[in-house]
Amino acid sequence: MAQNKTQQYIRTLDIDKKIVANIDNGIIVLNQELNIYHFNKWLELHTGIKEYEILDKKIDNIFDQINSKTLKRKIKTALRIQTPTFYTASTSKYLIPIKVNQLNNSSFEYMQQDVSIIPFDEEKGLVALILTDQTIMANTNALLEANMETIKKLNAELIKERDTIDKKVLVIKFDKTFCIVDISQALLELLSYNKEELLGKNFLYHEKNQMSQDFQMRLVESMKELQVLEFEESIFSAHGHKICFKSTLVPEYNANGTHIGFIIFRENTTDTKRLAQSQEKILASSRSAAMGEMVSMIAHQWRQPLSLINTIIATLKIKKELDKLDDEAINEAFTKIQTTTSYLSDTIDDFRDYFKPNKKSSEINILSLFDNSIFFLKEEMHQNDIEYKIQGEENISIYTYRNELLQSIINIIKNSIDAFTYSKSDTLNRQIIVHVQKLASHVTISIQDNAGGIEKDILKKVFEPYFSTKSKNGTGLGLHMCHTIITEHLKGNITMNSDNNTTTTLIELPYSILKGIK
Amino acid sequence: MQVFDLTEDEKDVLQELMNVAYGNATAVVAEMLDAFASLSIPNIKVIQTDELLATFSELKSESYFFSTQAFNGEFKGESAFFINQTSANNLAKHLELESSEDLDDAILELTNVLTSTLTTKLSQEMDTEVSFSLPSLSKIPLQEIGKTSAFKHYSQVIVIDTDLNFQDQQIHGKIFILTKDESIQWLKTKLNSILELLI
Repeated sequence: MAQNKTQQYIRTLDIDKKIVANIDNGIIVLNQELNIYHFNKWLELHTGIKEYEILDKKIDNIFDQINSKTLKRKIKTALRIQTPTFYTASTSKYLIPIKVNQLNNSSFEYMQQDVSIIPFDEEKGLVALILTDQTIMANTNALLEANMETIKKLNAELIKERDTIDKKVLVIKFDKTFCIVDISQALLELLSYNKEELLGKNFLYHEKNQMSQDFQMRLVESMKELQVLEFEESIFSAHGHKICFKSTLVPEYNANGTHIGFIIFRENTTDTKRLAQSQEKILASSRSAAMGEMVSMIAHQWRQPLSLINTIIATLKIKKELDKLDDEAINEAFTKIQTTTSYLSDTIDDFRDYFKPNKKSSEINILSLFDNSIFFLKEEMHQNDIEYKIQGEENISIYTYRNELLQSIINIIKNSIDAFTYSKSDTLNRQIIVHVQKLASHVTISIQDNAGGIEKDILKKVFEPYFSTKSKNGTGLGLHMCHTIITEHLKGNITMNSDNNTTTTLIELPYSILKGIK
Repeated sequence: MQVFDLTEDEKDVLQELMNVAYGNATAVVAEMLDAFASLSIPNIKVIQTDELLATFSELKSESYFFSTQAFNGEFKGESAFFINQTSANNLAKHLELESSEDLDDAILELTNVLTSTLTTKLSQEMDTEVSFSLPSLSKIPLQEIGKTSAFKHYSQVIVIDTDLNFQDQQIHGKIFILTKDESIQWLKTKLNSILELLI
């Protein structure tokens, strides 16, 4: 039979010898004293040393890197326990130095070897050392280790960043079924919830009570369309505090670009909201304070014309009783009454205008604006013996909100008048001097009084809200509102200086509020 | 999952076999280290992997070297050897080692000797043969052992747990022989046939 013949033929060959000669491993046979009994072809080729040159010589004499003590111990152990002992490439690197000549194995100079020491002949005390080339494996391991190091570093950075985000950024994530999958620590703390309380809950259900039907629709719509949506929302914390957010809804995708859910980034705007609200309140109360002032001004303005009308009527009555009432007298009286009543009506209109905030800016002649404002205050200045002067070119016009500016000017001049009355200053020539000046980029208006000046530490606070030196009578809103109006609405600047006896308020205004001060 | 448990008799037989194997192993190691060695009576039990990891975590209090070696055959598995830093240093001193690489090699050698003598003797007693892979020294910190996938292949393991003491040298080690389900089944069969011969 052919098969048996082949088997017989193979048996006649020295299989082991042939294979040992050609196997891709190094094989050395040693005795316990490290004398070489066999050195296979693979080793001859790799080391360039022929077997006959080194037979019966001690291997540690030929390769002096070999630690004889360790090798002897391993051989002894292998023979004693009749199972292999080993050198591993990962710890011992190599036993027989063989230079690596492959370019792509450049990270090692010598071939990395696993060595198995197998008992070969117990009686004669021989062992066989089988060397396996592990350079590629060692290379891969080295590469892997280097990459692991990089990955570890990156991972640490990532974890740190994630941690920062978790602690600082208000963010909530939910999947496509609106089931909450993550929520940052920062948001949890703000809302006073535990993570466990929210994870797995339906986002819409959880926050639905705090959303309008309309808004829910809009939110769901954006989610369907996978759109980014910016919106404002307010949510009640577990303790029932209302917290306002400016939020952004962003669809979330995984690494393959598949849509997996949504993220909402939130910005806590509660404080900003509160500030805006208090600003509005200040504005409103300043309006009503000004209104009260105006009513008293109107009363002041009306007293004289009303008594004039009274006088005219009284005169008419007397003339009638004396029978001296002719047509001419009647006509004259009517004309006078008409003029006076239209003056009364004009006064009302003027005040009404003054309370209507301008929606549109218009061109204003500054000197005539002062004439208007002084009209409200002339009587008061006259009573207090204050001389009022205005200096400046006649044709200075700017483009601004008329009534806002008017309100500010009246406020400042009123302050100056009050300064004279409150300080009870004994200045002889009481003066309020307005100086209007044209500069290249803007217009300056300085309003100066000699009512005694203001102390330095008070001067610092005059533009703060609710600051007043007038104890009972002041609301403390006047100058604060002037500051707000001039800097925010009119895009200008206002400063106040005091020197000796005088106080100067300097207002800088752009030629056009559309452009601001260049 | 089928849960194997060793009967008292099976445990007794295994204990006896282990004692023989251990005697053999200690002798070899003593010869290798040129020192007198003693072994505590091995503690044999079949446990779940979770429990094993818990056992490992008890070792964390000290800095340990951890090496493993796989063995193959009808009876196959892996041995895990723990040796603490102090013992490793004493081993290095005793063997007059110079570098940390030499120490790694020595630990692997100790692992190899213990594993092969134990399992060879055990398999000889059970009339089978085993072959050994190269041992490897774990570079992973001990606290991460629970995360390594290596132990996930074992649903339950036979733990043969013993302390190795070379009193003069103050070298202590702990060795665990881990075997998988099919080997446990095979072992039970073997132990029972030995039991029958004894009766």
